[in-house]
Amino acid sequence: MPLFGDAGTIMLTAGLVASACAILGVMLVLRGLSLMGDAVSHSILPGIIAVFLIAQTRAPIWVILGAALFAVICVIAIEWLVATRLVRSDAAIGLVFPALFALGVLGVHQFTADLHIDLDSTIYGEIAFVPFRVMEIAGVDVARGLVVAAIVAVVDIAAVALLWKELKMTSFDPGFARASGFAPAWVSRMMLVLVSITAVVAFESVGAILVIALLIIPAATARLLTTRLLAMVLIAVSVGWAAAIAGYGAAVAADASIAGMMGLMALGAFFVALGVTAFRRWTTESARFREAQGRSK
Amino acid sequence: MNVIYELLPVSGTTALVALVALALGITAGAVGSFAVLQARSLVGDALAHAALPGIAVAFILSGARDPATLMIGAVVAAAVAAALILFLERTPRLRADAVIAVVLAGAFSAGVVLLTWISASGRGDQGGLESYLFGQAAGAVEADLITASVVMVSALLIVGVLARPLGAVIFDRAFSSSIGMPVRGLEAISVALLVLAVVVGLRMVGAILMVVMLIAPAVGARQLVKRLPPMIVLAALFGGAIAVTGALLSSALAVPTGPVIALVGTATAVLLVLIAPSRGVAWRARRRHVNHSRLRGSELLMALDGTSQTGPMSEEQLAREVGRNLRWVRRGVRSLRRSGLADPDRGAVALTEKGRARAAQDRREVAAWSAWIEHGWRLDLPDAREPDPLNMRRSLGEANLRQLAELGQEGRDRAPVR
Amino acid sequence: MTATQRDDAIDIRGLSVSYGGAPVVWDITARFPHGHLSAIVGPNGSGKSTLLRAVMGMQPPDTGRVQMLGATPRQARSEVAYVPQRDEVDWDFPITVREAVEMGRFSRAGWLRRLSGSDRSAAQAAITRLGLDPFASRQVGELSGGQRQRVFLARALCQEPQLLILDEPFSGIDARTQRDVLDLLVQLVRTQGVSVVAVHHDLTTLREQFDWALLMNVRGIACGPVTDALSPENIARAYGSDATVRSAS
Repeated sequence: MPLFGDAGTIMLTAGLVASACAILGVMLVLRGLSLMGDAVSHSILPGIIAVFLIAQTRAPIWVILGAALFAVICVIAIEWLVATRLVRSDAAIGLVFPALFALGVLGVHQFTADLHIDLDSTIYGEIAFVPFRVMEIAGVDVARGLVVAAIVAVVDIAAVALLWKELKMTSFDPGFARASGFAPAWVSRMMLVLVSITAVVAFESVGAILVIALLIIPAATARLLTTRLLAMVLIAVSVGWAAAIAGYGAAVAADASIAGMMGLMALGAFFVALGVTAFRRWTTESARFREAQGRSK
Repeated sequence: MNVIYELLPVSGTTALVALVALALGITAGAVGSFAVLQARSLVGDALAHAALPGIAVAFILSGARDPATLMIGAVVAAAVAAALILFLERTPRLRADAVIAVVLAGAFSAGVVLLTWISASGRGDQGGLESYLFGQAAGAVEADLITASVVMVSALLIVGVLARPLGAVIFDRAFSSSIGMPVRGLEAISVALLVLAVVVGLRMVGAILMVVMLIAPAVGARQLVKRLPPMIVLAALFGGAIAVTGALLSSALAVPTGPVIALVGTATAVLLVLIAPSRGVAWRARRRHVNHSRLRGSELLMALDGTSQTGPMSEEQLAREVGRNLRWVRRGVRSLRRSGLADPDRGAVALTEKGRARAAQDRREVAAWSAWIEHGWRLDLPDAREPDPLNMRRSLGEANLRQLAELGQEGRDRAPVR
Repeated sequence: MTATQRDDAIDIRGLSVSYGGAPVVWDITARFPHGHLSAIVGPNGSGKSTLLRAVMGMQPPDTGRVQMLGATPRQARSEVAYVPQRDEVDWDFPITVREAVEMGRFSRAGWLRRLSGSDRSAAQAAITRLGLDPFASRQVGELSGGQRQRVFLARALCQEPQLLILDEPFSGIDARTQRDVLDLLVQLVRTQGVSVVAVHHDLTTLREQFDWALLMNVRGIACGPVTDALSPENIARAYGSDATVRSAS
């Protein structure tokens, strides 16, 4: 029995993964990179497979490097296509990430039939198994997945905190940022590499496809509710934790996929936020309309 | 049906697979053209993912696994997702890409939850998930061909009738709205077409990779033609070809169909982007190179012709004169010699008669360009032509060039003496 | 539906438009008479484009009423041609100059029917008039800014309108095209009796060529003959007082 118990481990891991994703997700949403984030999180699959085939290892550090490499390939390929000015960014994204993901799928299909990677787990993730892979830290058994998730979360928080003012500046006024010597393009690229690293870790827990749910939905929810950057990050992280815990509970109760439930809970939060904004808008608009009516009489 | 199979040089099932792929590819290519032109191709991605909960619900409600029922579920779910995307796009704080990502991820999560719940509650297994996600050409039956053909014909009919108004709305929404075209309605129709193409293509290509079938043919076709009707036709043909190739290849190699089609599609699109005549990357690079050579030659010619130094110059002296590095000068001189504009004698650089004539012509062109900048607006041109700085004579015409020179002279005559 | 001489080309009463936040057009009352070359003038961000869109019925106003040619915008639509800003258009779209111009005949032909011979010759005539003959088969993205503006104008001509509304037709184009466009507009007004309303920001050409102006900055400041509307006091009220120094010199 690892530290925090089985259920506790799963919820903590999920929450940490969701936090890491939420922090990056806020930046992606603000910079219009949501679908780039989706592309990058798909593109890590061939990286994971390649590392496994070539280096015969699933050790996190190599897997992360392999994934980051393919994420970089993905970003470069998309940027190149857009730079030709013959393909628009959405079409470029939709051409590159499926090709990379296709390579990964073929790799899984062909070469790993007898091993622990299978297509189902790439979709659902295996967070239920996290408590069973433990490592010893200072004499205590801790789930390895939990440790990795914690490290990634810390790395993401640190990176965002370090780059806080660069992120702010390049998101809201790229022209000014460029003139001041901060290239928005490089900040975006760094973000996407961080996304790929986070996606690799999330991959173990929630699978390749639901990473995008944790990246974008809490961040979009936060965006609806506030315009202040710090508040957005805090709300997104909270929504992430709520989705993690509620998702786990619901999944256990209904005997369904934990990762899927997390995504669904996040979606619920999003709709609640939509309702709140709609209500806000309706009250201000009717007030102003009445004022306008009064004036033009 | 069997007659067709006898005639084809492949086995019956393979032929069936190929025909289904053909129909789906044509549909996706034609419909995808509009999605790509509107920059909404990833909406197709979202719709493909969103179909999953629809399939699951259809299964739960009907208890049956027959393709028709499941497809209806997929259509309903995709339509709901499409409506949601269109509605959410108007939310002020959210950008289009975030909306697509939210709907995509949210709907897919719902689908995954339902599927796992189905298999956990013992109502069925989730073995179908793999073929839904990655496509499965091998399992095609005749019913699939009929469905695919019906959808293809309907889609092509709608596209054929609505291509012009849809194109007008995509090209210039404000104008189309101003002449009273039902812009929202047409947008809704193009999204409905997308729903149709996606749902039908799911079976073959799978949800994750479906988006390539919508994008690659249209991107490829756009590189080769400059009008909408030929683009749609070409995209349909490309779509069919990509799908058939991918389907047959994956059948032969016994791998999932989706990934193979995706790779063939992306490769085709990228290839066309590279080699398309006049638009493609390779051609533009070559044109840039040619222009660069011409400008370099022109600069050297005018320097050699106009230099105050008597007698031939060495390459080093020439480099100092034009202020460029030696290698650039060497290359330029080499190409001047090749074109007979400079003496082949390797000792020093000297212009031939032809070279001097060309230098004079280039000087006239430069003067003409300056005259255009200063006096061009006074010129009485017969149409909306504009000068090409690399070839003033051809773009403006001899008569106008002369008029421009006269205006330039007038300007100089009138300028006060300081 | 013919407009009598007593109707104005455009009649606006108490129009207000806001985009979910602050008002962009506030309580504007203005009229643009028939057969005049009129301008809508104001600093950047003063709501001129929004006003045009509301007048065309493309943007629902909060309050107020608009009449074009004596009828509602919807009813008058077939007699009005709208030339939007160039940057709202996708110039990489696979469409030739000729096809873009022919769009001007869509409302006459019905947007599902084929274009008739007379539609095509009307389009050809417009192409020739705007000097676009050498470019008729080119894809629109291959054209320069000035040439693209000509395409839009040719399209508007095809519509054979009684009222022509243009949003920033002179921005970002070369001097020669500006001159040609202005000549065309003047010709349309003087010889064909078309009413022209254009958003414009160059105060010098305004005084020389236009005869009517609405000066606005979210609210209406002045509307009337150019010399009255663009008086130094009004300019100061719209642009801020240092603008009077610039415009007077």
